[in-house]
Amino acid sequence: MSDARFVNLRIVGTSVLPDEAIPLVEGEGRFVNDIRLPGMYHVAFLRSQHAHARLRSVDTNRAQELPGVVKVLTGKELLGKVEPFRSMPNRFSGGESVQHWLAVDKVRFCGEAICAVVAEDRATAEDAAELIEVDYEPLPAVTDPRLGERDDAPLVHDTCPNNYLIKREYQRGNVDEAFGSAHLVVKRKFRIGRKQALCLEPRGCVAAYRDSTFVLTMWMSHQLPYVVRHYVAKHLRLPENDVRVVAADTGGGFGQKASIYPEEFVCAYLALGLRRPVKWVEDRLENMVASTHARDQYIEIEIAADRDGRILALSSDVWVDVGAYSTYLWSAGMEPLQTAGLMPGPYKVAAMRYRTRGVATNKTPVGPYRAVGRPSASASLELLLDEVARRLKLDPAEMRRRNLIPIESMPYRNANNLVHDNVNYLPCLKLSTAKIDYERLRAEQRELSAGGKLRGIGVACFAELTGLGTTTAVGPGTLLQPGRDAVTLRLETTGVLTIAAALPSQGQRIMMAMRQVAVDELGIGLSDTNCLTNDTAMAPYGFGTFASRTAVFGSGAVIQAAKELRRRILALGAFLLKVSADDLTIVNSVIQTVDRSKSMPLREMAEKSYFSAKDIPQELNPGFEVTSFYDPKLGSFAAGAHIAVVDVDPQTGDVKIIRYVASEDVGTMINPAVVEGQIIGGIAQGIGEALLEELVYDENGQPRTVTLADYLIPTALEIPRIELHHANTPSAALGGFKGCGEGSTTGAVAAVACAVADALNQRGGDIHEFPATPERVLKGLGVLT
Amino acid sequence: MAREQRIQLTVNGKSYEKTVPVRLSLADFIREHLHLTGTHLGCEHGVCGACTILVNGRSARSCLMLAVQADGADIVTIEGLRAEDGTRHPMQEAFHENFGLQCGYCTPGMLITTIELLQDNPNPDEQEIRETLSGNLCRCTGYQSIVNAVLAAARKAQSVENETGRAQKTGSRGKP
Repeated sequence: MSDARFVNLRIVGTSVLPDEAIPLVEGEGRFVNDIRLPGMYHVAFLRSQHAHARLRSVDTNRAQELPGVVKVLTGKELLGKVEPFRSMPNRFSGGESVQHWLAVDKVRFCGEAICAVVAEDRATAEDAAELIEVDYEPLPAVTDPRLGERDDAPLVHDTCPNNYLIKREYQRGNVDEAFGSAHLVVKRKFRIGRKQALCLEPRGCVAAYRDSTFVLTMWMSHQLPYVVRHYVAKHLRLPENDVRVVAADTGGGFGQKASIYPEEFVCAYLALGLRRPVKWVEDRLENMVASTHARDQYIEIEIAADRDGRILALSSDVWVDVGAYSTYLWSAGMEPLQTAGLMPGPYKVAAMRYRTRGVATNKTPVGPYRAVGRPSASASLELLLDEVARRLKLDPAEMRRRNLIPIESMPYRNANNLVHDNVNYLPCLKLSTAKIDYERLRAEQRELSAGGKLRGIGVACFAELTGLGTTTAVGPGTLLQPGRDAVTLRLETTGVLTIAAALPSQGQRIMMAMRQVAVDELGIGLSDTNCLTNDTAMAPYGFGTFASRTAVFGSGAVIQAAKELRRRILALGAFLLKVSADDLTIVNSVIQTVDRSKSMPLREMAEKSYFSAKDIPQELNPGFEVTSFYDPKLGSFAAGAHIAVVDVDPQTGDVKIIRYVASEDVGTMINPAVVEGQIIGGIAQGIGEALLEELVYDENGQPRTVTLADYLIPTALEIPRIELHHANTPSAALGGFKGCGEGSTTGAVAAVACAVADALNQRGGDIHEFPATPERVLKGLGVLT
Repeated sequence: MAREQRIQLTVNGKSYEKTVPVRLSLADFIREHLHLTGTHLGCEHGVCGACTILVNGRSARSCLMLAVQADGADIVTIEGLRAEDGTRHPMQEAFHENFGLQCGYCTPGMLITTIELLQDNPNPDEQEIRETLSGNLCRCTGYQSIVNAVLAAARKAQSVENETGRAQKTGSRGKP
């Protein structure tokens, strides 16, 4: 068979309108909270008021007696019946920590679930939760990771000395020699606050008993349905194939819905025990304390540079306040290990070392969130590069130009052992500086500065490792190396194609992406394709949507499966049309000879294959359903260079972004408008991280930011119009695709942080703590102390 | 005080008479009692705007109203935006065509808010749109595609108006 294809136009690269969005604009999406089953009960949780306390007693009597209450579940009842969450083994673990689904003897953070109340309706369940009497014996709380690692600190887990959930030291290259002989050594501190994903839809689930052949069916707002299925079965001691998990329409994920949490598992337990469906939907107050947080880091970073500003070595110390438990299943290593390990970003670094720790505190656990670790790594390094540039009287853009890994040097193995290949770091920077007219921008800044105005320009370049194959762990230090995902292509009897995978979308239009790829590979019409991505009962095994992997894996698996499906279609087509398969192609759902003298609609071939099988030799009719697992082996680096321009008001400390230019390399784009939505959305979250968002705790571990009036995410007024440009180069993955979901967040945090620092520097000020709230900006200017 | 009360109201052109608990929020009434689940709850304290509906023609946060306060009201939710023949409202079409949504959770509130905006100001500029949107949180899009959708919807409405030869509304500022 010839490999030549005669497709008219490729649809990959076209901004096709995704019809999967139509139910959402018509108000007919089906989110978890929209699901209602006959006889369904509702669940509410009683949560700890204390950051750290022993539970002397939990009295549920009054709650049990309230009319409408079905059951009050305590942690004690679960003991021995279910497996609690033991921290995922990590090579760099500081000790095993155990999280009970409902607290048993101790609570370790404000918001930790103590009891679950089941009632006829949610309001009654909440009323009853208020009637539960808990006798707490408060314990001293750990609220600062740098104090928490001291020998005299109270322990969050007796099994984890110095409160280390994670600890790692790393060195590569001759770091001491580089620092000893360097022209310039500069050290900086960097602090980024605690934040959270803030999905507009909080978490939730409906758990049902005996739905169809499944003992347990879970509809969840989640990114990883098969992973939930695996773990819910394991922890409830059920056979895995008795469990079905469906990711309902999901109102944002961003990593927060990629972890395993106690509440949904409690609901599963309740549904099995009560033999009735139960629903729990997190309210916003719960979401602020019970869904994973992110970041919360202290970094000290030191650089050795030569007289031309070239990086000779990096050395960093990282403390991450990882909260009370090792997030299941990723472990507590996500932020600590990735922040330190990914410190070099897109720059050539021959020698590096780091010490990093994830320190347990009495706060909500820290879990994966968009661009895990990279924003703080990138921002701390970019701020340091700016300082080096200042000392050497180099322009910041030039400083970066001298250190970015050029494509001619690739494949390039950096000091953190990652190999950079097929990635356009320098062209991204060149494009951004050209589009923003960088020289003129700096000239304007000088003029404004002379007039007393504080304008800042931040240039940040980043590397984003996407689509990680089997050679790279997605949870560093853990055994989690899924690295593959599967797609099933099924040609239905009407000649339409069903694409099934366990790669749910939280708005990334994954279904349309895979359909576009299938159209190009098979020559089928777009309207003859459909896609299912959210249901373990329909999809082949897959790990789910996270880590900028889904477009790469889903598309790669489609390409692989389509190759075999196409071969089968052409073989049968050749038999039915009495020609050679080499002479056939498929155009717009029609199998035809290249000279178009003979043709047959796919529909006709499919119908014949199913309904007239007796007329077809068996070997030509193996079934038109192909499953393929795709493993890209390595990951693919995506890249970008962002330039943010800010004006700082020296009276109020207010920061206004007046211009934002981003150039990105995200490989071959499948649907450019969708890609741009991902990038711009990521930038908005990065701007929030750099300027606004912070979860504040007091010294007793009490959360002070539990509503959206306290925790500020950007509105349309804080986000400027983003000027986005593309400098794409294909990856080595099938189709040349890269992930595009996270990198821009990294670039935005760093670019905005650098811009603010640059503005303050116009008046001799500086800033080391982010978000750059007005108070911190004024402190940085010396106006406040 | 009575724990329940009888209310009568119109939702998406349909009249309802229901007995409701006095503590029931209007959002929960719409979602749980009328099964109109297109209205979403994102915070239940009036900040995120996902639950925005039209009450007597003006936008309102249904999480901050009690069902009993809507007695006698005329309400429109996202499900009431389509024409009777099923045609999507021009703003729904504009959101779709401009990729003005990702997860879609904020979309009901965004649609209601921006429809009200164009009623008040048929030709808003980008800054006016952003100010109006600032009461509705979106976590996915970075707002740009939403702003684009509203600009496109306004343009389309203007060109339709020009084509049909109807007089320009006084609110128009004559931008292209």
